[in-house]
Amino acid sequence: MLTLMSMFYYICLRRRSRSGTRGEALTSRRAVESGQRAVLPVSVEVEQYAKEVLDFSSHYGSENSMSYTMWNLAGVPNVYPSSGDFTQTAVFRAYGKWWEQCASAPPPFRRTPKGFHSQDYIELGFEEPVYPTAVDVLETYYPGAIVQIMACSHNPFSQNPPTDVRWEVLWSGEPTKVLTPQARQFSPNIKHINFPTNLLRIEVNSSLLDYYTELDAVILRGVKERPMLARYKMPIIDINDLSDSEEELSDLGGPFRQGGEAKRTGNGYFDKLPYELIQLILSHLTLPDLCRLAQSCKLLHQHCCDPLQYTQLSLQPYWGRLTDVSLGHLQSRCTLLQRLNLSWIGNRGALTLTGFSSFMKACGQSLGSLELSCCHFLNEPCLEVISQTCPGLQELNLSSCDRLQPQAFTHISKLTRLRRLVLYRTKIEQTAILSVLTFCTELRHLNLGSCVRIDDYDVVASMLAARCYSLRSLDLWRCRNLTDRGLAELVTGCRMLEELDLGWCPTLQSSTGCFQHLARNLPRLRKLFLTANRTVCDSDVEELAASCPSLQHLDILGTRLVSPASLKKLLQACPRLLLLDLSFCSQIDMRVVQELSGLFPNVAIKKSFTQ
Amino acid sequence: MAAKKKQHLRPLSQAASLCSSGRVWTWEPGLVGDVVRACPTYGRLLARAVIGGLSQTDGRDYSLVTASAAFGEGTFGKGILKKGMCYGDDACFIARHRSADVWCVADGVGGWRDYGVDPSQFSGTLMKTCERLVKEGRFVPSNPVGVLTSSYYELLQNKVPLLGSSTACIVVLDRRSHRLHTANLGDSGFLVVRGGEVVHRSDEQQHYFNTPFQLSIAPPGAEGAVLSDSPEAADSSSFDVQLGDIILTASDGLFDNMPDYMILQELKKLKNTNIESVQQTARSIAEQAHVLAYDPNYMSPFAQFACDNGLNVRGGKPDDITVLLSIVAEYTD
Repeated sequence: MLTLMSMFYYICLRRRSRSGTRGEALTSRRAVESGQRAVLPVSVEVEQYAKEVLDFSSHYGSENSMSYTMWNLAGVPNVYPSSGDFTQTAVFRAYGKWWEQCASAPPPFRRTPKGFHSQDYIELGFEEPVYPTAVDVLETYYPGAIVQIMACSHNPFSQNPPTDVRWEVLWSGEPTKVLTPQARQFSPNIKHINFPTNLLRIEVNSSLLDYYTELDAVILRGVKERPMLARYKMPIIDINDLSDSEEELSDLGGPFRQGGEAKRTGNGYFDKLPYELIQLILSHLTLPDLCRLAQSCKLLHQHCCDPLQYTQLSLQPYWGRLTDVSLGHLQSRCTLLQRLNLSWIGNRGALTLTGFSSFMKACGQSLGSLELSCCHFLNEPCLEVISQTCPGLQELNLSSCDRLQPQAFTHISKLTRLRRLVLYRTKIEQTAILSVLTFCTELRHLNLGSCVRIDDYDVVASMLAARCYSLRSLDLWRCRNLTDRGLAELVTGCRMLEELDLGWCPTLQSSTGCFQHLARNLPRLRKLFLTANRTVCDSDVEELAASCPSLQHLDILGTRLVSPASLKKLLQACPRLLLLDLSFCSQIDMRVVQELSGLFPNVAIKKSFTQ
Repeated sequence: MAAKKKQHLRPLSQAASLCSSGRVWTWEPGLVGDVVRACPTYGRLLARAVIGGLSQTDGRDYSLVTASAAFGEGTFGKGILKKGMCYGDDACFIARHRSADVWCVADGVGGWRDYGVDPSQFSGTLMKTCERLVKEGRFVPSNPVGVLTSSYYELLQNKVPLLGSSTACIVVLDRRSHRLHTANLGDSGFLVVRGGEVVHRSDEQQHYFNTPFQLSIAPPGAEGAVLSDSPEAADSSSFDVQLGDIILTASDGLFDNMPDYMILQELKKLKNTNIESVQQTARSIAEQAHVLAYDPNYMSPFAQFACDNGLNVRGGKPDDITVLLSIVAEYTD
C-alpha cells in the first residue's frame, strides 16, 4: 500500500517537475495544492494612463501636430465619453477595405495564420510596471477595431539595453464593427501573465468599420506584487504556449530525433504520394506548423525545407519572436524567395545588421518584393546590403521607418527595376528622392505621404513627369508645398495615373484651375483624394463628372463650396463610384446625404460629425 | 538671513467656476514677522515683496492667484458663461503647467457676423487649442509667440473648416526665473501694476482705426480681402516680476471704456491675495466697465481716440469685456 502511494506520489512529482519549468504559474499551483494557505497580502490595484507613445505604424495627422495624431493616446482622455470626430484623439491612417481595393495595394501573402488580423499597431509606455489585471481602451468614434493587446517584459524607460524581450498576448480577437459609432470603453478579459509590464502594444484592424476609428486613452490596471493564484482563475495553459514556436523556428538546423534508425518502417502512404502532391499539401500549412512538421521524419524534413515552399514568406505575424537566429535557420530554404515580408520585425535589438545581411545575401537573388514597414533596426548599411543583394527588386516598402537616416535612402536609386516604393513617414530628403526618380523609371506606385523633409514638391512632381511615365498611383498625402504648377506638370507627364492622393495639401488653389486641368488630363482616374482642400468647388466636381467616368473613390472633406447639385451630376456620371467622403462639407447636410444614398445605393457616402 | 516662517497652507476649493488656478496661504511670520505684524495688511504684502526681492537665493517659484470676470456684449446683469471660457465673441483660458502659468485673452472680430460666420468659434477654438498646448507642455515659457504660432497651425489641421479672426494677448509667468513673457497681437492687452502704479503696459496694434492686428482664416478666394496677420507680428516683451505685482489682462472692451486711473482706483481696493478678493475686484472692474460702456454721455477712451481721429462721438463702447486679474504670489503645491 505504501509502495503504491509512494509510486503514485513519485509519478505525480515527475510529471509536475517536467512541466514545472514551463512557468511559475505551476509552481504556485503546486504550492496551493500542497496545502500552504498563507495569509495573502492585500495588493493595491494601480490604475495608470499611458505616459508616452513609443511607436506606431501610422496616423492620420501631421508630424509635429497634436491633431488626429497617435501621441494623443497618452495621458488622460480628452473627449471620452463624448463621441465624434475630434482633433484630440488618436486616428490611424486608413479604415475599411478602400485601400486594399486599390491597385497600389500588394496582394496578401500566403500562409497567413487565421488568427492574425493586425493592420496597425501602437506601443505605449506606462510609468510603473505592474502585473496587469485589466486594460481599458477608450474608443470615441467607430469602435471595434482592436484585435490584439500585448504586454512586454522590457521596461522601455530603463537605461539598460533590452535583453530577453518577451511579448505576451493579453487578449486577442476578431475585428468587429459596432452598430453605432458611439464612444465606448473596451475592457476585454485579459490573460494573467507572470511578469510585470509597463509596455503595452495594441494592434488594430479597421477593415469592417465605416469610418476612421478614434482612440482617446488607454488605462492599465494592475498590481505591483505578483498575484497569488488562489485569488485568480487558474490560467489556462495554452497548448500553443507549451510547444513554443520560437523553439521550432530556431531548432530547424539542429539534429532532429533520429527515431527509427534501426528499423526503417517507412512513411506509410506518404511514400506513395508524388512529390508535387506532398508539396501541395504542405503549401497550406502555416510557418510554425511547417517547422514542426520538419521535425517528424526525414521525408517530411526534406519536403519542408524545400525552397519551393518558401517563394513567399511573411514573418510579420511572428514579429515578437523573430531574431537573428531564426533568420539564420530559415536562410537555407529561402534561396528561391520572391516575396518577403519582414514588417514590424526586429525592434529592440532582435535583428541586427549581421543577421539581416546574411539572410539577404542568401535569398536576395530572386527577391522581387520586400516589405520592411516599421523596421526600426534598419540603418544605412542595411539599405546598402539590400541594394547590393537584390538587384531585381521591384517592390520596396519602408513605411514608417522613421528612424532611418536620410543618407540611407540614396541606396534606393540603385534598384532600377523598382515598380512600387512606399516611403510613408520617412525622412527622405530632396536629393535622395530626385535621385531615385532619375534612375527608377519603371515606378508604377509611389507613396510619399507625410515625407516632411522633402523641401520642394513641385520639383519632385516635375521629375516624376519627366522620368516616370508609367506611374499609376501617387500618394502625396500632406505634402506641404505642392502648387498648381507642379500638379499641372505631373498630370501632363504621367498620363497613366489612376490614383492620386492630395489630401491636406494646403497650397493647391482651385482658382488656378489645377483640379479641372487634372480631371481633363487623367481620364483613367479611379481614386482622387482632395481631403481638407477648402478651395474645391462645384466646377471641379462637374469637371470630374465630365472627364473621369472610372472614378471609384473621391474624398472632398471640409470644403464649403460644393453644392448638392454638382454632387448629383457626379454620381450620375460616375457609375463605378464606391466611396464619396463629404465630411464637414458645409453645404451638404445629413438630409442631402440620405437623399443621395437613396438615389445611388452602391455608393458609400461618408459624413463624419463632431457631436 | 534665514527667516523662519511658519506657513499655514490653506488650499482653496475650486468653487468659483470662473477661475482655475489659486493656492494661497497666509503666514504667521517668526523672526522678521514681529516687525511686519504691526503693519496693515497691505503693508504686509509690500514687506513680503521686499523680503522676497532681497533674498535672491530664495529660489522659490512664483505663481499666480488668478480670477476672471466678463460680460458678453448686450448682457445686462450677470455675465453669461457660454461654452466654458467664452464670453460673447471673447474667449480666454488660464492654464498651469509644471514650469509656468499661462493665460490668454482672445477677442473675436465681430465683423464676420455680417458674412454668416460666428466670430466666437474662431476665438474659442484658438483658446482651447492654446490651453491644450500648454497643458501638454508643447511650449517654451520664454517664447509665448510660439504658443500662438503652434495654435494657429493646429487650427489649420482641424477637419472642420474654421473661419474667422481674433486678436490674442498671451502672458506666461516662468515660475523659476520670475519672469513674465508676453505676446500681444491686436488690441487686447495687459497692465502690470506695482505699488499702485503701472510699470508695464502693452501697446495696441492697429492697422487702422478700430481694425486691430488679427490672426485669421479667410474663406478661399478672399485671402486678399481679409486682414490676416502672422503670429510672428505679435509684440513680445519679457520682464521680471515681483511678489505682489498685479497683472491685469483684458480685451479692448475694458481699455476702451475705462481709463487707467479708474482701473488703478479699483485695484487699490485689492487688499488681500486670497482668491475671493481677487475675484471680487475683477468683477467690480468688469462691471464698472460694462456700465460705462452703455453710458451715452461718458467720454470713454474710445470716444477720446475717435475724436482725436476726427470722428465726433461720445459715450462708451458696447463690447465684450473680459478681465483676467492675477497677483504674483509664491508657488505652493
